[in-house]
Amino acid sequence: MEKLSRYTLMFIAIFVLSIVVPQLYWTAFEVPAKTPFVQYSCVNHDFLIYRPGEKKWQDTKGNEYTRDEYEQRLPLFFFKQLYTSGTLPDSVNNQPLDMRSLSREKSFFRLKTADIDAPKNNLFPMFESRSGRAMLEWPDDFFRITWRIEFIDAATNKILEEKSQMFSAAMFHNGFVFPAKNIWGISSPKKSVDEGYFIVDSRDQLFHLKMVKGKPFVRKIDLPAGLKFRHIDCVDFKNRTFYAYLFSEKNEIYILTQDDYKLMRWPVNGYNPEITDIKIYGDLYNYTVIMESPGEVKAVVLDKNYQYVDSYTETWPVREDTKVGKIFTSVFPAQISLTSDTSKFVSFYFNLSGGFYWLVLNFFLVILQLIWLYWKKKIFRNHVADLVIVSVCGVFGMIAVHLFPNKFYK
Amino acid sequence: MLLSVFYKEWLKTRWFVILYTAMGIVAIGYIFMALKHSFNFSGTRSIWSTILFQGNQFYKIFKFIPLAGGIIVAIAQYLPEANDKRIKLTFHLPLGENKALMVMQAFGALSLLVAFFVFLGLIYFLGLIYFPVQMVWDIVLTVLPWSVSGLSAYSIVSFIILEPRWPFRFLYSIVGGLFLSFHFVHAGTACYGPALSGLFLMSLLLITAPLSSGYRFRKG
Repeated sequence: MEKLSRYTLMFIAIFVLSIVVPQLYWTAFEVPAKTPFVQYSCVNHDFLIYRPGEKKWQDTKGNEYTRDEYEQRLPLFFFKQLYTSGTLPDSVNNQPLDMRSLSREKSFFRLKTADIDAPKNNLFPMFESRSGRAMLEWPDDFFRITWRIEFIDAATNKILEEKSQMFSAAMFHNGFVFPAKNIWGISSPKKSVDEGYFIVDSRDQLFHLKMVKGKPFVRKIDLPAGLKFRHIDCVDFKNRTFYAYLFSEKNEIYILTQDDYKLMRWPVNGYNPEITDIKIYGDLYNYTVIMESPGEVKAVVLDKNYQYVDSYTETWPVREDTKVGKIFTSVFPAQISLTSDTSKFVSFYFNLSGGFYWLVLNFFLVILQLIWLYWKKKIFRNHVADLVIVSVCGVFGMIAVHLFPNKFYK
Repeated sequence: MLLSVFYKEWLKTRWFVILYTAMGIVAIGYIFMALKHSFNFSGTRSIWSTILFQGNQFYKIFKFIPLAGGIIVAIAQYLPEANDKRIKLTFHLPLGENKALMVMQAFGALSLLVAFFVFLGLIYFLGLIYFPVQMVWDIVLTVLPWSVSGLSAYSIVSFIILEPRWPFRFLYSIVGGLFLSFHFVHAGTACYGPALSGLFLMSLLLITAPLSSGYRFRKG
């Protein structure tokens, strides 16, 4: 039993060390990779790259610019700055610039991997889409979807039967098959108008649900056969061109156009929701999709008809390929993290070190341990398990073995 | 014999266990009283929305209560035994040394589990008065790792008290403290789901921890 106790404690120590020691190592030695900021210039018809680490502004051909020159080549992105400094051009590509249309067409969207891999809400507010008020207000009730849709009054914590039945019936008559697999919408009154929710039912059908003058508005959206969505993010852009960005399980990017519910696939490849953060900048002429993955940034530019214009990819060594990373993978066999940049969940994120150098160190540590056993005149067969632990867990195992001495055989 | 050891442990720790449980119940009562107060002042829909969409953990004063419970019960149970090496008397019982320690551990762990079940039950059923079951489950999922920390803290502190050598006590306190900090990582509501079973399993394994230091304690 004492042995079981000792191995339990060693396991806990190895677990703690494999979280804390790598964390300390990276805190002390990690040099952050500064992701270049890539934008498409409607003046140069080329990508412009700002490198925050080196404080350089360049184009893809290596030409360098001053900050002012860089901003003047991105007039749609920096129009407020250019307007303030009095350098905003009157026209771009022979088209006059109008502040109102610039502002209307400018949009920004961001989706991080951790936004997708996160706990899901089960209760949502159903805003009144046409309240006649200038500002949206939180409703008094929140809805959930189980075998039907249920509205729960927050003040009494009771189900509002009449409203629940009215909405459930409307959804049922439009072909909704309860329960819902996913519900997406902007659950905040901080938006210009309310467009309700986009809901995937138990048969992977997509529906639009909102409340108009207290009544349900339900619309089934036609989808190509087999199309399933991993994530939908509703947007509230001033130009009201589309309701949402939709990300399919095959990592395709779609938009759903406003009012006519046309699903349009964007010609953008290379998005991996498990490792890629995505940013989409919209302006008067283009949509620029920026995909940032570890060691890579990829930018794809589309015109306003969502046709491919140009793309740019830049790579750099990932953390493990840097000098500091190589030392890490030579010393530590693995690392565990409780949190991750790609998830909001707390879990045991296990990363085995690449390469085999850490095996060499583990072997060296086993030799050291053998010398120590010989020097202390220990009986070898009583320490076989410890040697196995050192050979597998390396530095962490070595520390654990000596932190909890094997003294049961005296 | 088992029941006699249980009774001995009960006599030793009863006031600590009872007072600790009572304090936990009072804290939970305060949490829901404060919630009712917020409902009256800010309105229910506002509080619901902050809980659902802004990560409001109105119950966060509960965070370190299970941890404190684990430490209190371990100190109440093992400090008198470690002083003047009185635990050696227990080791001389015909029960066997390891079995005697495991019975003591079982008593401490069970008394803590009973207290935690009372706390979780109160949070669940009081929560259902104000919120739908989905929200209450999220609250329970959030407080569960804090509760598991109490069980782990109990075993770690017991183990450190029984450890006879101060340098090792110091090192074990560092490792134990770091392990306990893993239960309190800054995370949103219900984010601990994937780690919960692992942490609970480790807290169960840790119940055997004092056997190791107890062995060294009795061997001097």
